[in-house]
Amino acid sequence: MPIDRRLLLYINWPLFGLAVILFLIGVLNLYSASGTRLEAGMNMAPYYHRQLLWGLMGLIGMVVFMFFDYRHLKTMAWPLFWITVILLVAVFFAGKTIYGARRWLDLGFMNFQPSELAKIAILIVGARILSREREPLNFIRLAYVLGVGLVLAGLIIKQPDLGSGLSILMILGGMILFRGVTARVFKTCLVAIPCLLPLSWFFLHDYQKQRIMTFLDPTTDPLGAGYHIIQSEIAIGSGGFWGKGFLEGTQSQLRFLPERHTDFAVAVFGEEWGFVGTMILLTLFCVFLYQLVVIARDARGLFGSYLSAGVFFYFFWQILINTGMVLGLMPVVGIPLPFISYGGSATLVNFCLVGLVLNVSMRRFLFKQA
Amino acid sequence: MSDLYNESEQQAPRSGLLLLQVLILGLFCLFAVRLWYLQIHRGEEYQVKALENQLRQESIPSPRGLIRDRNGDLLAVNEPAYALGIIREDCPDVDRLVHQIATWTGKDYFELKTLYNKNRKRVKPFEPLIIVPDLTFAQLAVVETNKLRWPGLEIQFRPRRLYRYGTLLAHVLGYVAEADEEDLNKRPELALGDYVGKQGIELMLEDRMRGIKGRTQYQVDVNGRRLKERILKHPQAGREISLSIDLELQKLCMDWLAEEAGGVAVMDADTGQLWALATAPSYDSNDFSSGLSSKQWAKLRDDPLHPMQNRVIQSVYPPGSIFKHVVAGAGLHYDMIDPKETVFCSGSMKLGRRIFRCWRKGGHGKVDLRRALIESCDVYFYKQGKKLTVDRMSAFAKAVGFGEKTGIRLPHEKAGNIPTREWKLKRFGESWQGGDNLNMAIGQGFTLVTPLQVVRFFAGLANGGKLLKPLLLKDEKTDIQARIPLKPDQLELLRQGLIDTVEDAHGTCRRIRTKGVTVGGKSGTAQVVRLTDELKALKDDDIPYRFRDHAWMAAIAEKDGRRFAIACLVEHGLHGGSGAGPIIKAVIDYLFEGKITPNPEERKAKARAVRALSLKHKEKRHAH
Repeated sequence: MPIDRRLLLYINWPLFGLAVILFLIGVLNLYSASGTRLEAGMNMAPYYHRQLLWGLMGLIGMVVFMFFDYRHLKTMAWPLFWITVILLVAVFFAGKTIYGARRWLDLGFMNFQPSELAKIAILIVGARILSREREPLNFIRLAYVLGVGLVLAGLIIKQPDLGSGLSILMILGGMILFRGVTARVFKTCLVAIPCLLPLSWFFLHDYQKQRIMTFLDPTTDPLGAGYHIIQSEIAIGSGGFWGKGFLEGTQSQLRFLPERHTDFAVAVFGEEWGFVGTMILLTLFCVFLYQLVVIARDARGLFGSYLSAGVFFYFFWQILINTGMVLGLMPVVGIPLPFISYGGSATLVNFCLVGLVLNVSMRRFLFKQA
Repeated sequence: MSDLYNESEQQAPRSGLLLLQVLILGLFCLFAVRLWYLQIHRGEEYQVKALENQLRQESIPSPRGLIRDRNGDLLAVNEPAYALGIIREDCPDVDRLVHQIATWTGKDYFELKTLYNKNRKRVKPFEPLIIVPDLTFAQLAVVETNKLRWPGLEIQFRPRRLYRYGTLLAHVLGYVAEADEEDLNKRPELALGDYVGKQGIELMLEDRMRGIKGRTQYQVDVNGRRLKERILKHPQAGREISLSIDLELQKLCMDWLAEEAGGVAVMDADTGQLWALATAPSYDSNDFSSGLSSKQWAKLRDDPLHPMQNRVIQSVYPPGSIFKHVVAGAGLHYDMIDPKETVFCSGSMKLGRRIFRCWRKGGHGKVDLRRALIESCDVYFYKQGKKLTVDRMSAFAKAVGFGEKTGIRLPHEKAGNIPTREWKLKRFGESWQGGDNLNMAIGQGFTLVTPLQVVRFFAGLANGGKLLKPLLLKDEKTDIQARIPLKPDQLELLRQGLIDTVEDAHGTCRRIRTKGVTVGGKSGTAQVVRLTDELKALKDDDIPYRFRDHAWMAAIAEKDGRRFAIACLVEHGLHGGSGAGPIIKAVIDYLFEGKITPNPEERKAKARAVRALSLKHKEKRHAH
């Protein structure tokens, strides 16, 4: 099958460019966070090396995800869903336990987290179901769509991995809002959800409750959970308007900031690049997100739109939660910032999803064929 | 596949697209405002906090309390020492640094690395992890000159325990070592790398001796170098203590035990204070203060003579003939021995089909209680034992403190054993036999005692029946734990029996007579194995070391209102009189005349030869 030259023409280059730029900023920032120094006696220098390697693999993954016609995914949606369910169940019986949670399948050459696959599966299945809904969702349809998500989320929360489970529900929830619901459903949810939230308190683990309490008043636990928040705010705040300069952040360089290469990576950035730099980074993220909206708008067919909307929410929630946490607006949850935090599989998935929406963007010219 | 390409040309829902744009705008505004608030509105405040963050604190170690002997001589002091630590947050490449440290100190890289990994999780952030606890001055000089080139390297001053007489008092003072997991959990005020008492007085008086750590605060630059320092809290040294031990006497006892295995305890019979507690072989307390290598530890642990064993309180032996005073006491207490009654000793006694021999083949002829004690006649006591039976002997032995711990302020004391009918049934599944009574009466068989219990009992015989708690501290109050259940005249009989044993021409303790001092004593041998005929035929000097009986002697001595009890056991010393007697004599000479009688060279040489012989024997046995 000869590659149509228009395919390249229609690629959303801004999105591609932004993804690469954000990723490079992340690597640069990792270099500073490790500062060729150590985290608890572990040499950190390999962090940015490894991140670069993951980035290369991500680019390859991205190309793979651009190569085929994304519309084939429609037919693969349900098989993919069931495969994911089987893998999630397999984790219970054959999973590797790390840090007390069974989340990994040992594939020999790497440890694979089926919950990562579930995030992709929910995008595709969600897009498939929602793109066929002719009307805004009423209660019955909403229950059906949510049910599909709950199957995956429930299996993941049992691992236990509350973070990944909730993120799946949030991605799906975002897509549902994108589709739109009937006014009745909307009003009911508007009333019901705030009422139900306090109930969820009883389902949280002690450490999660502790984090929320700490968030409300970090000073209650200045050396435990509150330490992260306090140190992170000091790092960001002390950056001031212009920042302290690359590799000059005392908070980061003096290693007061925990998790500075993963969840709190952006705090390092804020300290060294200040208000100016962080605002630029924020703008880049917003433009990146806006490109996803553009692709969703121009996509050929609803399936592509919904896919793009799903990817939008995949990134949006992470940016909101991670940055909110680093800026002290939210409790500490272990969610990384896309492209900026160190993380192998996360980097891979991020690039693959960018590839997926690029796929949608480049095939928007395809006309209906008989 | 049918609907792959004929999807409806519907456009994405406009409300949805609008929603996404609103979300982006919201996200942007929210974070922009927050960034402005943190970085611009409160930026200066946070900059101050970040500066404060560059201050670190660390604790200043407190010197342990000094330990003196009863005359004020210093036994344990502190000397300056330097430890090498790593502050891992400052160190760019721990492996390289550990390698470098191994090169500087000549230690094994893997051993250091293992230590590092073991303690990595247990050190607070920015606190040094001690990796070489004790730098020599040469090493210190090398490290000090290279310090600036190795960020993360930290030299820590800390007082180190120094025992001025390392092997002399090891079992009394014990030793200190770095706190292990258990200590850290037990005492929250301890940090990794702190020294704690692990044995002896150091362990028992840990809280008194440790003191309180101080704290200092200092500023660091990006490389972790110290800039300014301020002491927040000065450390408080631990409290000084004085032992009841007399250093010179302890030296004397240890000299006499040189080359041998055994223990000596000297007790002031009026206060219960121990003037000497010597046990040999010994180890050097100092070896532990700077961390024992695994090789050193293995050598100590596997030494066949067990130098870590405190033979005065942790080793149990059959008391042999010195138990005859307990049996005599039991007879008097239960009114079953009439001191005037005589027994004919022909050199042996029959019980059923077994023959029980007296140690003197020809027999002692007619003996009463006094004579039986003086000459240690076995047959007399066989007869008494048969009458008293185990029940009365045990009850009395327990009443005078045998079979239970004395409560001395040292860890791991043993209780010994006083057998009863029930005990034998439980332990061996056999009932108590008549022959067991006879064996028990001469202190053989199942009875096991520590030299400390013996000295307490003899102090009781010397002081009118008070059984005193053995004390190791000079300022401790005398504690009367019990009284010997005998009337004063009966007690005097036993005491006189001891004195006669020394004074009488046939007494077994003639060699400890001392002019101007009232001395009493009792010797004994504790059988190690039932001697075979083959061994019996051998001369003393030819019996292999392992099969030789232990030599016991316990004594009391009094002059000008000062009274002491002394117990001495020499393992495989053959005979109480010759094995333990000279030691007791030397102690008495020192106590009342201040005379130091050194251990003669020939005794040491003989002990060495015996040891060599026993090793040869072992080899021979293996050769067969």
